Amino acid sequence: MEICLKALLYGALLKRNEGFDMAEVFLKLENIKKSFGGVKALKGVNLEVRKGEVLCLAGENGCGKSTLIKVISGAHDADSGEYILDGNKVDKLKPIDAIRAGIQVIYQDFAVFPNLTVAENIAMNNSLMTGAKVMNWKRARELAIEAMKQVGANMDPDVLVERLTVANKQMVAICRAIINDAKFLILDEPTTALTKKEVENLFQIIRRLKEKGIAIMIVNHKLDEIYEIADKLTIIRNGEYVSSGDISEYDRARFIRDLTGHDIVETTYHPEKVSQDEVLKVENLSRKGAFENVSFTINKGDVLGVTGLLGSGRSEIGDAIFGIAPAETGRIVLNGNEVKIKGIEDAVSNRIAYVPEDRLTQGLFLERSIRDNMVAASIGKYFKKGKLDHKQIADDTQMWIDKVAVVTANDLVPIRTLSGGNAQKVVIAKWLNTDPQLIVLNGPTVGVDIGSKSEIFEILHELAKEGVGVIVISDDLSELVQNCNKIIVMRNGQAVAHLDQADELVNENELYGMFSEEGGEQ
Amino acid sequence: MKSIKWKEVLTSNQMFIIYIIAILSLAIGMKNSAFFDFSTVITLSRALLVTLCFAICEMVVIISGGIDVSFPAVACAALYIPVKVMTDAEIDNVFLAFLFAAVIGLVVGIVNAILISILKIPPLIATLGVSSMTSGALLTFFGTREISRIPESVSALSKVFILNYTNASGATYSLTVFILVPIILCIAVHLILRYTMLGRGIFAIGGDQNAARIAGFNVIRLQFIVYIFSGVMAGIAGMIYCILCDSANPLNLMGSEMMIIAAVVVGGTRITGGHGSVSGTILGVILIALIQNNLIMLGVPTYWQTFVVGAVIVIGTSITSLKAKAVEQNQKV
Amino acid sequence: MKILKKFDHNTLSLLGMYVVVLVAMLILNPSGYYSALNIRSMFYLFPEYGVLTFGMMLCMISGGIDLSLVGIANLSGVVAAYIMVHMGGTEAGAGAIILAIVAALLVGAVCGCFNGFLIGYVKIPPMLVTLCGLQLYTGLAMVITTGPGITGLPQGYISIANGTFAGMPYTFPIFAIVTLVVAFVLKSTTYGQKVYFLGSNAEASRYSGINNLKVIITTYLISGVLGSISGILSSSHYGSGKSNYNTSYTLLSLLIVVLGGVHPDGGKGKVIGVTLAIVLLQLISSAFSILRIDTVITDLVYGAILIIALIITNVSASRAAKAKK
Repeated sequence: MEICLKALLYGALLKRNEGFDMAEVFLKLENIKKSFGGVKALKGVNLEVRKGEVLCLAGENGCGKSTLIKVISGAHDADSGEYILDGNKVDKLKPIDAIRAGIQVIYQDFAVFPNLTVAENIAMNNSLMTGAKVMNWKRARELAIEAMKQVGANMDPDVLVERLTVANKQMVAICRAIINDAKFLILDEPTTALTKKEVENLFQIIRRLKEKGIAIMIVNHKLDEIYEIADKLTIIRNGEYVSSGDISEYDRARFIRDLTGHDIVETTYHPEKVSQDEVLKVENLSRKGAFENVSFTINKGDVLGVTGLLGSGRSEIGDAIFGIAPAETGRIVLNGNEVKIKGIEDAVSNRIAYVPEDRLTQGLFLERSIRDNMVAASIGKYFKKGKLDHKQIADDTQMWIDKVAVVTANDLVPIRTLSGGNAQKVVIAKWLNTDPQLIVLNGPTVGVDIGSKSEIFEILHELAKEGVGVIVISDDLSELVQNCNKIIVMRNGQAVAHLDQADELVNENELYGMFSEEGGEQ
Repeated sequence: MKSIKWKEVLTSNQMFIIYIIAILSLAIGMKNSAFFDFSTVITLSRALLVTLCFAICEMVVIISGGIDVSFPAVACAALYIPVKVMTDAEIDNVFLAFLFAAVIGLVVGIVNAILISILKIPPLIATLGVSSMTSGALLTFFGTREISRIPESVSALSKVFILNYTNASGATYSLTVFILVPIILCIAVHLILRYTMLGRGIFAIGGDQNAARIAGFNVIRLQFIVYIFSGVMAGIAGMIYCILCDSANPLNLMGSEMMIIAAVVVGGTRITGGHGSVSGTILGVILIALIQNNLIMLGVPTYWQTFVVGAVIVIGTSITSLKAKAVEQNQKV
Repeated sequence: MKILKKFDHNTLSLLGMYVVVLVAMLILNPSGYYSALNIRSMFYLFPEYGVLTFGMMLCMISGGIDLSLVGIANLSGVVAAYIMVHMGGTEAGAGAIILAIVAALLVGAVCGCFNGFLIGYVKIPPMLVTLCGLQLYTGLAMVITTGPGITGLPQGYISIANGTFAGMPYTFPIFAIVTLVVAFVLKSTTYGQKVYFLGSNAEASRYSGINNLKVIITTYLISGVLGSISGILSSSHYGSGKSNYNTSYTLLSLLIVVLGGVHPDGGKGKVIGVTLAIVLLQLISSAFSILRIDTVITDLVYGAILIIALIITNVSASRAAKAKK
């Protein structure tokens, strides 16, 4: 509620110093349809964005958001529907026309040049737009400084972009858009790789741009962020338009319902019987610059959730336990034996499993078959009597496909063809096949449909019951509250709270409070 | 702040090469005082003139994110075919010789560009295949015999000098007029790369091809320009080589791609694209030429040459690569 | 039809090319081509580059490339020759020959390790490392030979590549054993599967607990050893060790692996395809020599085949990708 009020206040503040016609619609899409082959990606989407307004486009992964962005930016032509730009109906928009009209997209990877300087990156599009043949370094620097002043960024214009932080790379992309006289800025999931401070800074900049009368669309599905920055909200689901309206019209329940098509389920996980058998004990784990003195225990039956903002140390703990970036000090005791994790091999040989955050590049071999993926982490155990037992590999693969319910025609299709949920089940099964003592999952449900989500957690609960230690790292609080019986909240590398479902009712808003606020440290 | 910049300059790749060149020169000079004579500059310039032309082209290709190993074959074809045809037809025209050479380079450059930018074949394998085809076609259809008598007016160019120098012992050294070609080329390429959108586009596609496309660069067009430039310049450089040798040999330059790539990479150009400078490449070429031509002055037998050059490249690339690794791990700003 | 289904697209097109070459020679010069002499001479020749090609294949499947193979081969041959010449020359005994062969294989292993270290640990791109390696190993061979070839090898060594047993050159069983071993390693060992994983996605492979550095070093080590086997065969074949034998093999091996269905980006490739391509190339080059076509044309033809094979691979791949969309 409090957050809603905050959003209303922002709205009110804004209305007072508007210097332009708020009602003026910059872009209006009506009943946009687009299909690829037989697949309907967009089944009639409406969208309206006004000058000086922040619209949030929300939808689960695979709902058609990226297709919609491509239609808006002219990369795809819509099959049918109306595209009205600044009051004029547009047919067959080319990418360059969209840019000329002031539509600028900032992609998730920012599309900046790592080998060029900040100034050049910012000025590049402008030179291209004007068809300049000559590179004017002095003007590029002036443009860059001007753009940085406009958005309130402060970077050395002569430094190479490869040396910038993610947030600053994004700044470069925003500056580049601004210098091109952007009237409508689309940011595709701009906050996923930013720390809380950086997100705040970004929002500051977005508000500045909004005051200048620029229309802004943010693709995002993190509710707290949406409340903080958006004026309007449009929700799409499976390529269909669901609803749109003022941000104040949405409470959490409606948001979740519109986003997922289901009502919010407020169940929590209570292990049938938590025994005192200690599966994992972590004591004073520290890695300089990442996290300090983190301690926790997992008993048989426990599912531990680790949450916090990006950069708070939540992912870093997972990385340390799996040996990707090992901890410098502290003890890890696994089923009574102290283990030393200095690298991934140590983790694997101690039967620790890790489902990484970036499934596509770190978790899967996209071009290879389900079978190959299934045994990637356990190939060694099939080497019997001097050769690999391919029959056993096939049998085990089939066993896991049945057990974790992967929907597929057979086990030889490439992973690329599977949906996000099915692919994630393969990653989990790959590790289950190593017979782990401990499994760490980093963001296990990102890009996974609702059905698979609950199935994945069922698997995890089953594992916990069998005595496997389960750690789920996530920033999806409702997911953690529903599925973990212990939760650690990380902030600035410290574990600031240890919560237990058995002792107290954990509630999401409380959790938000714990890591969203700076906690009086400043 | 200022002191940090100084430190960066003094520990930069280029400074390292300058140190090595200086140490090497000193060592050679101490062994053989004749080295510290203006004549060394003249002989060295002559030795690295053609190499430098090749190296500059290769550098541009590598900056754009590709690689070209076909230029020795192009150069061989571009020096042999015109000379052969002109000798057989008894034509004697300098302009025609160079035009012919350039056209051969152009054709091969276009083929490379089509394979790489349109058919998306990995540059190394594509240019290797083209190199083999070019060289095979040359030897099959035009013969393998060296032509020692090249057309007179073409040959006459080898005796045009811009500078004569007579040293203390009375020996005369002359600097060929062709030294102007790499000088002009270096200046032009430097200016184009740094001060035109074409040049920045070449850097851009080498840095991130996808980002370049989104930004609105015509990636295919840029790749065509790069490979055609490389082909045409290789053709012209081949003809110059032929004139300097005063004979046309269809095989002499084959195998020189290694040294050229070595010189470019040692000069600080990143093999993965997006980074590189003309000045670095010049230094790299000088270093390799110094090793190739003057190691013997240090009492190192010639059969050590290949090995020493190999060792220099391995060390050079290791340093470049370790530095790139360090940049990645450094605190971001 | 059922048998045909067992072969993939690439194997089928290779078999098609066999038919073309064999039928063409049946028409053009059957008596020369199908003579026992010619067939035997074919068996002498292809093992030399065939063994080395498997090294290229392994590296390419792992997502890399090995351009230093010819350098390793020549260095190994030179080292072997050097040892034998200093242990009795033409009179050297079996002990010297065995020592020479072991030393040669060791040279291959060390060079391969060095390549693997620079690629996997220092993280220099494989293309650059092996290009430098070629220079380095060739240079080292040159240093040992001081230029000209080392001649005066014992007959026992020379007969490795030139001798026959019941009419069958020794080289053929060597090639057959190498082929079977590589096939077994790729299909039926843990390491073999890891090479495919590494080549498909190095990052995912690391996150699956696979020690990429170890796999990379092993790959280039095996490649180096295969290179040195090829070097032993060539030095035996020529009767001397020299730093610049068989420089055309780099291109030839690349051509064969691409033709044999190994993807230049890594992760894909089968021994059956590469073996077929090795023999196919021998059939073609043999056809040229029987038809008395100048040997220089082979460069032209090889280059053309390489490019056509790549174009076909890429066009069919992009078509397949489009069809899926």
